[in-house]
Amino acid sequence: MQVPQPDILTLSSAGLLVATFGVVVRRSFAGWLSAYRYQTVVLAGTTAVIAYFADLPELYVAAALTLVIKAVLIPRILVRVTEKIKGEFKIEANPYVSIRLSVLISALLVALSYALVQETLSTASLDVLATTYVPVSVSLFFIGLFVMVSRRMALNQVVGLLIIENGLFLFTAALTYGLALIIEIGILADILVGVIIASVLLSRMSQTFDTLDMTRLENLRDD
Amino acid sequence: MVWWNPLANAAQPFLPTSSSGLIVSLLLTPAVGGLLVTLLRGKRASGVITVASTLLVLVQTLVLIGDIIAEKQLSAFGGLFYLDALGALILLPIAGVGFVSAIYSINYMGRQHERGLLDDKHITRYYQLFNAFMLTMLLVPVSNNMGLMWVAIEATTLVSVLLIMLYTKEGAIEAAWKYLIIATVGLSLALFGIVLFSYSEATAAPSSVSSAAASSLNWTYVSANAASLNPEVVKFAFIFVLIGFGTKAGLAPMHTWLPDAHSEAPTPVSALLSGVLLNCSIYAILRFDIVTSGTLGSAFSSQMLVILGAVSMGVAAASIYFAKDMKRMLAYSSVEHMGIITLGVGFGGFLGIFGALFQIINHAIAKSLMFFASGTISQKYDTKAISEIKGILKIMPVTGVVFLIGGLTIVGMPPFNIFAGEFLILTSGFSGGQFLAISLFLTFSVVIFAGLMKHLIPMVFGNPKGPGRETAIDANPKRDDMGWLAVVPMAALAAFLIMLGVYLPQPLETLIRDAVQVFNQG
Repeated sequence: MQVPQPDILTLSSAGLLVATFGVVVRRSFAGWLSAYRYQTVVLAGTTAVIAYFADLPELYVAAALTLVIKAVLIPRILVRVTEKIKGEFKIEANPYVSIRLSVLISALLVALSYALVQETLSTASLDVLATTYVPVSVSLFFIGLFVMVSRRMALNQVVGLLIIENGLFLFTAALTYGLALIIEIGILADILVGVIIASVLLSRMSQTFDTLDMTRLENLRDD
Repeated sequence: MVWWNPLANAAQPFLPTSSSGLIVSLLLTPAVGGLLVTLLRGKRASGVITVASTLLVLVQTLVLIGDIIAEKQLSAFGGLFYLDALGALILLPIAGVGFVSAIYSINYMGRQHERGLLDDKHITRYYQLFNAFMLTMLLVPVSNNMGLMWVAIEATTLVSVLLIMLYTKEGAIEAAWKYLIIATVGLSLALFGIVLFSYSEATAAPSSVSSAAASSLNWTYVSANAASLNPEVVKFAFIFVLIGFGTKAGLAPMHTWLPDAHSEAPTPVSALLSGVLLNCSIYAILRFDIVTSGTLGSAFSSQMLVILGAVSMGVAAASIYFAKDMKRMLAYSSVEHMGIITLGVGFGGFLGIFGALFQIINHAIAKSLMFFASGTISQKYDTKAISEIKGILKIMPVTGVVFLIGGLTIVGMPPFNIFAGEFLILTSGFSGGQFLAISLFLTFSVVIFAGLMKHLIPMVFGNPKGPGRETAIDANPKRDDMGWLAVVPMAALAAFLIMLGVYLPQPLETLIRDAVQVFNQG
């Protein structure tokens, strides 16, 4: 295995993190989607880099599929199905955690991820690809989760899930050079169907409840 | 390496024997069923096709179980599918409850259609999804690959969300959304855990990283090599997997989606969700428990299972006591029983695991019976509120009797089957010296007994026309059990409840013994 240039590694990790912060700082659905699309393109490139250095042709296919399904199809589906949803529901006007604080917390989460990976996985046994990308993937997971719980609008939960899933994909590629292709295809199919179902649910929700604010979605309780 | 087959290097010849071909045809049956429903469409035809396809699934499952008892393990499709006694034990409730639920669906969905809650298009979609749901659930215990199993479990989430979304009322939308989001986040944690398991394999044998990456996700391979995995990584992996699949299995405190989803789904689907789907996630946890115990010894994973099990029972006890809605009460009872099953596995030993596996079967029968009864009752009374439903015995004699039997069973009264399972688990806990967990188990059981009886006795024996209640029953007080197609599945399940309480048939006992053996080999 050739040792990759540190520049490529640093550049792609930075690209992924910048895109993730793009989701954190923006307030509109269109903004999140474009940040997500950018993140996915960088992710596909990163996967191709891993495929090149680990010399795994299978991983190129996974990278290409990621690009087509997650960077092209999923954003398009989300835009199409949520077309009828009122514009005001697509804007995060009043998140639980203010945008400024969110950026700070996200930065802390990135630091936490690096510390956590160093603590838990014996970094000596990891190769350079894993040491670079595993902390990034863990931060994507944390920030995705944070986005899901810190905002009011239901659309955020879809975006957060997609970020988590990107983190998962990177984690898999960096740590074990990807799962078998048939499994990757299965996972991508699950995500695609999941996004379609979620967006149908979102448009039904906006019609039935006339809001996408999660705080008002609390009719089912035990009392 | 063949691209579609991650196991091609696993030295397993592609030799389709008759019984391994059966695994493939078992999966094809609901797929064909769904296709036929799509092509023929008619309301009646879809129901009949679904009953036929689930009956075929049941027959094939029984044949497969016969083979498993004889041959211990089967694999098919070049090793992509694999079945042993533990998988077969999970297969049995899927096929059995699937079949009775399909029969019950004809009556129940027919009545929903008559009332105008669903139109023809919805009924067709219901039966399509029913078949798809069966397919995804059957895929879980027969896949040999952790990744494929994950894909199947995530697919069960998606299909069951669609089944809940059949209704467009507010509650169904809210429940479907919570279920989709929480279960998916949970399962992505589980996938992190699976990747970590795969990594722990790679670190154990660094020379074969790239080639082992695929086959290391096979149960057969990982269980055999559990001792050589990296113990530190396995510890983390198990925590992720337990939280992830525990979310989907409804273990507290990750159970919050469960009462919503199970109570808002169409009743035949509630029965499948509670009685069968939860087992699929429990199965995943059991498999990883076997691997983890093989690497770290059983102490680590057992302790975590005992804690989660006890917490689940406690949360369920409080919620059952204060329940207002009949189906939510039953859903919390599922949280309790998943807790009991995890406790049994956590206590370990032959008795504990035997009891837990027996309990999987018992709970599947009892809970589907209870959901069927509650579906018929809520259609008759036109409400799910416990306080509005009184005197079932007077209005619906057969349903009242089976509802009472089912209720006494799920609180663990002798002579019914759940008592037998709980007794085994308790015995194992005593002999293992887990006195704190045992005393919590007993306390929570008493609370659940009191809570459920408090609700159940007025529901069954009360006066249907009490003052201050304006229910549909006043307008239509005819004694009627809502048609034989609703009664027959319930009566059959009730017969099993009583039979398994006093007598365990030889083949089933052998199957459970063999499944316990799978734990000891790991």
